Amino acid sequence: MSNEEIIHKLKPIITTYAPASAALENLNEESDFIKDLNINSANLVDIILDVEEAFGITIDNTSMEKMLTVKASIEVIKEKLSEK
Amino acid sequence: MIGNDVVDLDLAKVQSNWRRKGYLDKIFTQAEQILIATADCADEMVWILWSMKEAAYKIDNRITGIRNFAPASLACSLAFSNDELNGSVSIQDRVYFTKTSVLPNYVHTIATAVYNQLSEISIEIYSQPNYPIDYKSLNAGCVSHHGRYLALVYC
Repeated sequence: MSNEEIIHKLKPIITTYAPASAALENLNEESDFIKDLNINSANLVDIILDVEEAFGITIDNTSMEKMLTVKASIEVIKEKLSEK
Repeated sequence: MIGNDVVDLDLAKVQSNWRRKGYLDKIFTQAEQILIATADCADEMVWILWSMKEAAYKIDNRITGIRNFAPASLACSLAFSNDELNGSVSIQDRVYFTKTSVLPNYVHTIATAVYNQLSEISIEIYSQPNYPIDYKSLNAGCVSHHGRYLALVYC
């Protein structure tokens, strides 16, 4: 799966928890969930659970630690998909 | 160095469904999940523990420079004495001390790396729309904002 395909699948998940903003409109690899997208930290867990369901992967807590940006999330998703 | 975290309980109720499958395992240790399962009010306990972790993380992040999302690696312990909810949060070999206030509409925790400093922290909590003008210029030791509440702490 390419980075673009992953972002395409991530966008609706992120949109569920992020308030409307220009940063959300322009979602890209550099977007930071908390600093740019103003996502409440308690909702980061929801994003991770949704990602697990959407991609059919399990994200352990060590991998979850890094998932503060779209870029880091793509890396974790790719890694977990390759282990399937 | 001090930390603080406020949780608007009404917003938390609609913003987060902590009963969702897998949710608690990603945030809380086994011991914390037992505290939640046996609490008189599970909702309240979830947000007490969460605000403790957030308040401690805000100090730890500044001390270590580490930015991550590893809530289950922050281990809370709680001690109930009189009406105060004192506790501590351990992150690896670092320990932060906390004091939490539980009110009908919000939960607020203050944290410090030095136990004696806890009693020296002054707390100002504002509810919308009565926020101080330009609160960013007030140089609070830590600022927390959630829903209708703004919490500023000074030491």
